[in-house]
Amino acid sequence: MDDAPVPPPRDDKNVEFKAVLLLILLAVLVAASAVYVMYARGAFEETQQLVLQADDSEGVFVGMDMTFSGFPIGRVRRIELAEGGGVRFLIDVPEKDAPLLTTSSVFTLTRGLVGGSNLRAFTGVPTDPPLPDGAERKVLIGDATAEIPRLVADARELMKNLTTLTGENSALATSLANLQATTDQLKGPRGALGVLMGDEANSKKLISALDRTNALLAKVDGIAAKADAQVFGKAGVMPEARAAVEQLNAALNEARTSLKKVDGILTDAQAVANNAKVATNDLGTLRAEIDTSLRKVEGMIDQLNRRWPFSRQPEIKLP
Amino acid sequence: MSSTPSSHVAGARLGSALVQWFVGWWQIVHLGALVLVLALSPSSYDRATRATLAREVYQATAPVLLWFLVLSSLISLVIIRIVVVTALSYGLSRYSLQMVVRVLVLELIPLTAALFVALRVAIPNAAEIAAMRVSSQFDALVKQGVDPLRREVLPRMMAGMFSVLMLVAVSCVVSLVLAYLTVHGFTTAAIASYTRAVGHVFSPAVVLIFALKTFFFSLAVALIPIATVAYEPRAAWLRTSAELQGLVRLFSVILLIEMASLVGNYY
Repeated sequence: MDDAPVPPPRDDKNVEFKAVLLLILLAVLVAASAVYVMYARGAFEETQQLVLQADDSEGVFVGMDMTFSGFPIGRVRRIELAEGGGVRFLIDVPEKDAPLLTTSSVFTLTRGLVGGSNLRAFTGVPTDPPLPDGAERKVLIGDATAEIPRLVADARELMKNLTTLTGENSALATSLANLQATTDQLKGPRGALGVLMGDEANSKKLISALDRTNALLAKVDGIAAKADAQVFGKAGVMPEARAAVEQLNAALNEARTSLKKVDGILTDAQAVANNAKVATNDLGTLRAEIDTSLRKVEGMIDQLNRRWPFSRQPEIKLP
Repeated sequence: MSSTPSSHVAGARLGSALVQWFVGWWQIVHLGALVLVLALSPSSYDRATRATLAREVYQATAPVLLWFLVLSSLISLVIIRIVVVTALSYGLSRYSLQMVVRVLVLELIPLTAALFVALRVAIPNAAEIAAMRVSSQFDALVKQGVDPLRREVLPRMMAGMFSVLMLVAVSCVVSLVLAYLTVHGFTTAAIASYTRAVGHVFSPAVVLIFALKTFFFSLAVALIPIATVAYEPRAAWLRTSAELQGLVRLFSVILLIEMASLVGNYY
């Protein structure tokens, strides 16, 4: 037993080579995995920093993605308390994605019912200047779970109201009972009149009133027939009225003829006036002629006075 | 009156059992420290040891690698499928990838690899060492002026550790690829988003815990079975099953490491 041989080495070279191969394989695998994980965590990316300010950091964790249209474009690198009691998220944005964010970009933090929170970026105007490195922005917080307590309270109140509404002594139940009594009455011998009038005497009164109304209507009918005869009959008002209208028509025609005559007279008068105007013009001519004649007479008398010197008196007495 | 001597005897037995327990664990820690020191000192790697080391490393890894790869791929495929389909039915498919990576790569594969290597490599190695001790080969080596710890134990332990690390590395990579193919199909379009999801899982703390866990798994698997048989008295080894005892110790240590890693990852 003591001198049992040590197991002889089998094709050492080959095995050593294979062992080295295995070692190299392990080293390559581990190194590749390490590089891959570092790459996956963004160790080789050129980044710029963005600071988001919020009131609280609930649901946000280091390494969380910030998405833009569903694509991750940044990682939360640090979360720190701000001086005023708020929170600052320091976010690394790879430089190749940075142009997506502009100075007018909006950042939101939404908390869903299931799963974690989401940091999202929205860019309304892509032509705005790009966000500078280290820019600080406010983050808008939308919280789906915050609505739940209010919703539950509202629903509870609604249920309470509904319960009161449908309770045994509620108004709705009483109304329904009344409605049932009414329909029972409707089905009864007095029908709807009974429902409306309450007791039988009243409904009888109503029926008698209806009967009398019927009789009254019959009388009114007769009166209407008579009135018809008086108004539209042969000796009625209407034919007379028609005759009166015809007479009026004739009188109007006469009046029209008279007016035409007056028109003619007026035309004549106009003609007379015209003649008078012409006569007036002639009168003017006449007057001019008389003027001329008078001047001639005056000239003649002057000549006479010169030829007859014994008469010093240059006075002429017109006839 | 007769209870006093019997309780004394019981107390003495309990005391000796406790001492044995402590001694057993101390021996494991001691051997582990010794072998680690030997492994880190370059003088250990003389030509003969290098040859043994190469042989042991190759024998401990190459035959089990393929089988383990097939086995872990099958299990991975089934688990990936279950997780993805379940997550889809709950409308949580965006979280399924992270869950797959966490469940498979971080937790299941290292544990499975450690257990696989323990059963296929470490226990047979321990049996070999025990057989060598029984057949007095160690004594013969000592007579030749060779340290059996350096010549026979160190290569086997290194081989066990290497085997665990190798299996974990290969099958983690394979299951990451399988997860990608199962979720996205045969396309390169989703590599960026997949890389991002993987990056989310492997935060520095998680990577550190994963590396430490795998290292301690490999150390436990390589050390405990061999240490259990290396220090047992020869007669005791013949009488009781030291292999079984080693296996129990190994499982409890693996359980402790796994629990510690879970606490580290999720608390």
